[in-house]
Amino acid sequence: MSPVALPVLLPLLAAAAILVLRRGGPALALGGAVLGLAASLWLLARVAGGPAETLLLPGLPDMPLRLTAEPLTALLSVVVATVGTFVLTYAVGYMQRESGLPRFYAVMSLFLAAMQALVLAGDWILLLAAWELIGLCSYLLIGFWFQRPEAADAAGRAFLYTRSADLGLYIAVFILIGAAGSSEIAASLEAGGSASTAAGLLLLVAAMGKSAQVPLQDWLMRAMAGPTPVSALLHSATLVAAGAILLIRATPLLTPEVLLAVGLVGGLTTVAAGLIALAERDLKRLLAASTASQYGLMLIAVGAGVPLAALLHLIAHAAIKSALFLAAGDFQHARGDTALERLRGVGRARPWTFLGFALAALALAGIPPLSGFFSKDAVIAAALAAPGAAWLAPLALAGTLLTGAYLARALRLLWRGADETRPETGNAWMRVGLWALVVPATALGLAFSPIETLLGLPAPEAEATRAMLLGLLAASGGLALGWLVPARRLLGPVYPWARRGLVVAGGLTAWVGRPAMAIARGCERLERRLYAAVLGAGRASLAMARLVRRGDERGIDGLIFALVASVRAWGGRARTLQSGLIHRELAISAVVTAVVLVVLLATSLRF
Amino acid sequence: MLPLVSITLFLPLAGAALVLGLPRPTARTVHGIGIGTAALTLAGALAMWLEGVSGAGFSQVEELQWIPVIGAAYRVGVDGISLPLVLLSAVLFLVAFIFTSSLRERPRAYVALALLLETTAIGTFSALDAILFYVFFEVSLVSMYFMIAGWGHEERQRAALMFFLYTLLGSLPLLLAILGLYLGSPESGFDMRAWIANPPLEGAAAMWALVAMLITFAVKTPAVPLHTWLPAAHVQAPTVGSVILAGIMLKFGTYGLIRFALQMTPEAFHKAGVVVLIFGVVSALYGAFAALAQTDLKRLVAYTSVNHMGYVIVGVAAAALTLDPSVRATALDGAVLQMFSHGLVTGTLFFLVGMIQDRAHSREMSEFGGLLKTVPLLGWSFVLAAFASLGLPGLAHFPAEFQIFLATLGSAPVAVVVILGIAIIAGTFLKALREAFLGEPRQQRHAMPDLSTRELLAVVPLLVLTVATGVAPSWVLDIIHQTTSALVL
Repeated sequence: MSPVALPVLLPLLAAAAILVLRRGGPALALGGAVLGLAASLWLLARVAGGPAETLLLPGLPDMPLRLTAEPLTALLSVVVATVGTFVLTYAVGYMQRESGLPRFYAVMSLFLAAMQALVLAGDWILLLAAWELIGLCSYLLIGFWFQRPEAADAAGRAFLYTRSADLGLYIAVFILIGAAGSSEIAASLEAGGSASTAAGLLLLVAAMGKSAQVPLQDWLMRAMAGPTPVSALLHSATLVAAGAILLIRATPLLTPEVLLAVGLVGGLTTVAAGLIALAERDLKRLLAASTASQYGLMLIAVGAGVPLAALLHLIAHAAIKSALFLAAGDFQHARGDTALERLRGVGRARPWTFLGFALAALALAGIPPLSGFFSKDAVIAAALAAPGAAWLAPLALAGTLLTGAYLARALRLLWRGADETRPETGNAWMRVGLWALVVPATALGLAFSPIETLLGLPAPEAEATRAMLLGLLAASGGLALGWLVPARRLLGPVYPWARRGLVVAGGLTAWVGRPAMAIARGCERLERRLYAAVLGAGRASLAMARLVRRGDERGIDGLIFALVASVRAWGGRARTLQSGLIHRELAISAVVTAVVLVVLLATSLRF
Repeated sequence: MLPLVSITLFLPLAGAALVLGLPRPTARTVHGIGIGTAALTLAGALAMWLEGVSGAGFSQVEELQWIPVIGAAYRVGVDGISLPLVLLSAVLFLVAFIFTSSLRERPRAYVALALLLETTAIGTFSALDAILFYVFFEVSLVSMYFMIAGWGHEERQRAALMFFLYTLLGSLPLLLAILGLYLGSPESGFDMRAWIANPPLEGAAAMWALVAMLITFAVKTPAVPLHTWLPAAHVQAPTVGSVILAGIMLKFGTYGLIRFALQMTPEAFHKAGVVVLIFGVVSALYGAFAALAQTDLKRLVAYTSVNHMGYVIVGVAAAALTLDPSVRATALDGAVLQMFSHGLVTGTLFFLVGMIQDRAHSREMSEFGGLLKTVPLLGWSFVLAAFASLGLPGLAHFPAEFQIFLATLGSAPVAVVVILGIAIIAGTFLKALREAFLGEPRQQRHAMPDLSTRELLAVVPLLVLTVATGVAPSWVLDIIHQTTSALVL
């Protein structure tokens, strides 16, 4: 067994075991995750100094599936396994009073396996398969409480949004396989020419769906109807990261035009989602909008041609955002709700959780020496040095400013206000999970330069000082504004629109959903008409037959009496046929067909 | 050496004779004979599978004189295109007999008819003589007609007649084409192998023959706009009738499309490929949109069949259009695997819808809600089958559709718009799941029992095969690819 398969296989075995045994879900899932983490670390250690490891598996003819561990993919595997392990630890405490736990832990483990397959995929088919399977897990986990209408709606919407965007990935993969003649990712990235522009744009579409970029951000906000550990694992650190991971891995393929498009999509999203977050009234939805906004920043970095900056921010964000969600889940347990209005002052009742939340929030805002400071710095530096700096840099800075603003607003709302907390003590599982992620959220900055050496990608030096100054200014300015000025005043006329999620003219429902349903109903109407027409044709020929018969009866009546009887008999037989004894008709037609067949064959023999 | 193909082919017929020959058998005996015969047939099909196929041409060929004066003979055999369909038929009939073992309404006639149908299905896929093929093709029609007319729902007579007339009229062009091929072939005979090795017709004659065959197979597959019999027949057919009709009999059309149209008139097909491609694309998209508008679960599944079979047509057309043998092999691999997968997945879906109807006497999805809660086994089986049908990786349709679309992009790039179908089908199933399976259970449906052992035995094998085909498609594709990679057109 090649070690490349272990990070995928161990959680997968856990999922299977949970489904079969129907008990011991927490232990099995956690066991699978911990062992998977160990395997990922081992893998990273193996490939850090040595050559990449590849495992070939049978797939389609001439297109085997491959798992490839190289420094980048092994590092991502460690990130996924780490977040997965600690979120599952937290979930043991968070979910303990729920029913349907085997399903929860089985799907969470399945998700970990699929996500590991995605980051370790060395060929497009496995990547595509894993990409869709994490979508399935997302559907099942958002819909964990499927009896609740909002969860059921959100699950379907999430799957449909991402599946539609995935068509981009499908076609891009077809183009790349067609151009390279191989499904191996490494081989296909050198395609070049118009094929790579087309494929790059299509990959961007797929990434926009998964990473909730504008205008496809809405599903992520609704996905918050799922359990909070799901939001922390799938809808912040891993599944949503898949879009950014895809673009980071495909960077060699992206032509300058595509890079600019990637950067602009990211820039637009970071600002738009930041505005939405600032106007949001629900803590989890605020964090979801923030997630979209942060992936926008990563896309800016990719668009600026510095995938390393995107990767660093991705890793920092994974730890930070999961920590924020886990803290939010604790607040949720304290008040039984996630609406900010209900959470006022919860921070005083839960000081340790609040401390963790605040540390992570400041890290995300980009306050030194926390991890987000370094990664955001790298993103802003990349934007400033990029060919499209005139566009990308202001957008990146605006995104940073907004990040500070919405986080300060959240902190203030959580801290100020009366303490009306139900007397419920947090539990140890949740605390361990939370702090195991807060620590890397604060300290990951230390790991960035080893990561640069590991990947052999030194950070670009250009614009470093200016980026640091501008970034700090934007972050601290944002924090001050968000703390001091209410969101309504800050946003002014944009506020009501941001409350509605910056929807343009009815959004995707109006632009895609309704037309699709209209076409569907049109097809259905056409169907009914076609059916009626076929039936009508059948009836018309029957009527014609009757008419002919009546005419015959009348004409013959006056002529030959003897024939009348036979016609009557014939008519009588026809009537009995109509009464439903069709098998007799069949017998006749079978005999006639046979006769015709024999005659035809006999005549053909003479040729 | 045992004549495996003939044994497998005529076992069900022998079973039917036994059922009819026994004086006053009980329902238990009759169903036991049905299940036992189908199990033996499956064993035969598995033996054929183990025997395998060799690269070019047909394997396991068995031949006997029949009507020597016109060159018609009893010739059967399989290749990588037909063998998976034979195995699919054997599997689906076995689970169908298990499912139907609770039937008490004229069980003797029913089992005899279904066994006859099984022989004709395996015969259609394994016949290597055009007359023999046509006989099996037509007799299957009669058996299915009686099944719908005898054991269907309220408007069964009308639906059965529509089904019968449509496909009977549709079959006549095929007969003409067969005669044309016969007249054109140098050594007079109906040996399909000879027609494939040396296509007997050229030019306009070949084109006319192709058009005739296309009409027949378009009705059978069905392709839009010749599909109107399908929803009508499915809605009225009994559950097993729907399973067999969608799971096996629709493949007669696409199998014929490859075996006859593509292999016997390859040049004409290459010229007319664009037209076929357009029909395929339109069928797939129209079927998907029509499915999206349905509120009746059975009609919904019926229309997804139009969509899925549309992909098969697209795959075959892509194979005809391309000059690159590797693209052609990919297209045909996808098309044949799609037929196999569709049989498994749609069979499961029709079984499950039938089980819902048995319990609730309704198929309107708005009348349900929260079925995952009330009948979890049934509900989760449906979820799995629905995701398989919408092409989720790891389940049977994904490898097939992936190859079809990949080849389409390599052969006729514009036609890749057909991929929109997978998003529409996703929307279709998500809507159905949301309405009927998620949400709060309806009060009046609380008493629904979950799947019984008999029902589990019908559905679980299909689901297992669906997952096995999705995760490791090579177990089927290796067989298919042996033939498609050696195919010379």
